[in-house]
Amino acid sequence: MNEPPMHDFCTFRIGDACFAVPTAGVVEVLRGGHLTRVPLAPDAILGLLHLRGRIVPVIDPAIHLGVSRKTPEQPTHLVIALQDDWYGLVIDEMLDVLELPQDRIEQPTTSSAEGPGEALVGVFAAPDRLVHLLDPQRMIQSFMRPRPQTLERQAISHGRS
Amino acid sequence: MTDNREFIEEFLVESSENLDQLDQDLIALEKQPDDAQRVASIFRTVHTIKGNSGFFGFSKLGALAHSGEHLLGRLRDGKLTLDDRVTGSLYSMVDAVRSILQAIETTGNEGDQDYRDLSRALAAAAEQTPISTSPSPVTQESPAVPEPRAAAPAAAVPAATPPPAQPIPPVQPTAAAPVATAETTVRVDVDLLASILDLVGELVLARNQLRSLDSDDPAVQAVAQRINTVTNALQETAVKTRMQPVEHVFNRFPRTVRDVAASCGKEVELVIDGADTELDRTLIESIRDPLTHLIRNSVDHGIEPPDVRVASGKPRVGRLSLRAFNESGRVTIEVADDGGGIAFEKVREKAVARGLVSAAEAAAMPPDQVLQFIFEPGFSTAATVTSVSGRGVGMDVVRTNIEAIGGTVDIQSTAGIGTVISVHVPLTLAIMPALVVRCGSERFAIPQSAVGELVPLKRDRSGPRIEGLAEAPVMRVRGRLVPIVFLDQFLGIRETTACREDGTVVLVRVDDREFGLVVDGMQSSAGHLRCRELLDAASLSTIVVKPIGGLLTALGLYTGATVLGDGGVVLILDLRGLLRILRLPPVDREPDAAPIPIVEITDRYLVCGTLGGRRVAVPLADVVRLETFHRDEVEVVGHRRVVRRGDGFTTLEDADELLGCVSTTSPPTVNVVVVGGSQGGFGLAVGSIIDVLAAESRLQPTTSPGVAGILALGGVATEVIDLDTAVGDA
Repeated sequence: MNEPPMHDFCTFRIGDACFAVPTAGVVEVLRGGHLTRVPLAPDAILGLLHLRGRIVPVIDPAIHLGVSRKTPEQPTHLVIALQDDWYGLVIDEMLDVLELPQDRIEQPTTSSAEGPGEALVGVFAAPDRLVHLLDPQRMIQSFMRPRPQTLERQAISHGRS
Repeated sequence: MTDNREFIEEFLVESSENLDQLDQDLIALEKQPDDAQRVASIFRTVHTIKGNSGFFGFSKLGALAHSGEHLLGRLRDGKLTLDDRVTGSLYSMVDAVRSILQAIETTGNEGDQDYRDLSRALAAAAEQTPISTSPSPVTQESPAVPEPRAAAPAAAVPAATPPPAQPIPPVQPTAAAPVATAETTVRVDVDLLASILDLVGELVLARNQLRSLDSDDPAVQAVAQRINTVTNALQETAVKTRMQPVEHVFNRFPRTVRDVAASCGKEVELVIDGADTELDRTLIESIRDPLTHLIRNSVDHGIEPPDVRVASGKPRVGRLSLRAFNESGRVTIEVADDGGGIAFEKVREKAVARGLVSAAEAAAMPPDQVLQFIFEPGFSTAATVTSVSGRGVGMDVVRTNIEAIGGTVDIQSTAGIGTVISVHVPLTLAIMPALVVRCGSERFAIPQSAVGELVPLKRDRSGPRIEGLAEAPVMRVRGRLVPIVFLDQFLGIRETTACREDGTVVLVRVDDREFGLVVDGMQSSAGHLRCRELLDAASLSTIVVKPIGGLLTALGLYTGATVLGDGGVVLILDLRGLLRILRLPPVDREPDAAPIPIVEITDRYLVCGTLGGRRVAVPLADVVRLETFHRDEVEVVGHRRVVRRGDGFTTLEDADELLGCVSTTSPPTVNVVVVGGSQGGFGLAVGSIIDVLAAESRLQPTTSPGVAGILALGGVATEVIDLDTAVGDA
């Protein structure tokens, strides 16, 4: 127990910022793919992707993380597994996999927490950049929180033909 | 303890199977108390439970099983004969073991229940009836069971070897030979099966893509053909791995019947047929409760007490038959009893008393339709019901549960002969027939089980059309008023609906609600068809239901998604969810395949205030639209007032005048309810529009001129304007 435990992270870039998720949850990375739109879903859900027999909701984390994507035309999907469900995150570019000791990860400062929000669980300094560590579970839950007011609005506007 | 969990789970599964077997064995034993093999089998089962509970340290379970084992041991050794007390205590033991196992499953420990009394009762039953109370323990029967034979139990526990044959001469050879289950089955993790199904689904898609490739090479064609055949066979086989015989549910019913019959003093013989009929394992669980309910009902209310049966010339013992069979791609399960049947007259009375129909309507209703009332929510939960209808406690729940899995429930009954309730369920939920509809650039799947019919709308408005107020579009379908939802608008696919004119209305029925979804058209293998071509099965696809993740399902709009043959992902609409969001009013349920209802029931009314301050109502179905005119726009032609509308005129009738009063006020704007009618529409001038309300009572006739009757609307008695005389007068 002398050495701090090591953790693997997949790092990726959205806009100018770098983010990381634990490698253990990453299923695969794929480019392109046809998305099926999900009407009335939260804005962050871009659609559904068919991947080897599974239906994968694809999520755009950019807005919620306070960054803007640079390659909206050629999306890259980072597919991660949460329990039994798979989710796709739209990113700009996949970077390398880093192995880090636990003690290199720092608590996010309050100022950075305002942007990426509750999903940001840590920050660490890679050689050439600052990497924001995300908790995929929290991130997806915060993105997909159903917004009842959307439905209400639709139900009302349905009436007002 | 964590290491143990896996073993404990296995122990729970195995024990629960054993308990089901025990129930059956006990019932068989009651019928044939001298079946030594049966006793030995029961003994072994209980012994196994006792052994396992000792291993895991479940002391209560162990103690209970020990008492049971002791009793069974004496039974097996012929020291005890089977009587009601013995069987009763054995049944109690099985129940207690079951509840302990349930406690272990949910909480991880045996629970607080005290079973020592039961153990004592078992012990007392074991000692109570020795073959003779005389001091001499050996009687004439004793030699038949030589003492040494009892030595085997511990050794014989897990083996599949047949029990040692008991060479007791007087015992007839058992009809039901012990089933020596050969090792032809394996336990497989359900997740593993699911992933096999997923992979097969992938293969099907690849196959479809292969088929779409044009190749002139005969060798390629031959291979493609073979892959096609194998894929189809593979898909069929893979689906079968999810199947289980309904036996898993039926197993419990002999015990249910026995208990219910005993508690209400009936004598009932249960006949089971088709227990090997297979159903998807997820559905097997879903039918358990509804079937249990139906069976209890049949025994409790259907089958008459023995003396009544004898008096009416029937066999003393009632017959309850449970039959499962495959029928047109679905599984039908029939619960039939030879009891007194349902008292139609009492159901009618009850329906009238509850205000579901008027007495005249009820009297004219055919028996089939009368029976439908039994499924009305709350129809039979009242205390009077059991005595009145004699049937149907909670039938609405049965129907709701069965419909939740895409099934239907039918009921037939003949007075004095009996009642048959048929439950039809789909074979599987993982794969289901669905209608794939188009809406804008999107496609959606609607479970076929919910689809009633498809109604094409015509641009020239010659056929069925959507009418009613803007806030509540409805369509008239053979006398019923069905609320309409424009799917494109509802889902925000298009800002304004584009399919009002020439779309297709898919009439769907969920639970007790019916509504129409307006879509652009249907998707079929032949591409996008307009509605006229689609009324065949062309657009029905068999889809594989895939989950879309709990967070998306929580929207309440989609139950899942599927991948179509062209590789496209299609969302499956959650019709129940839509209903919840739309809060559509309930509509009259059309009895299956019933003729047009004798009386058209228009249940919603537009309530208005007249200029003179009277509260009046017009059936919403007759309302075409609401308009407001300025006083100056009203022209007088001859003795009638008209307003210009487009290139025509609409005649105005003042509501007060229709009711025989004279308006004294003349406000600057006139609210007009434009009503349609068989003789052309007209405008009803009113003071204010109050609300659209559902009728809370039947229409009470009245002699007031121009009034069709009086209704309770919004808790207030309201006059309903007689539109027919209004038109006649005009």
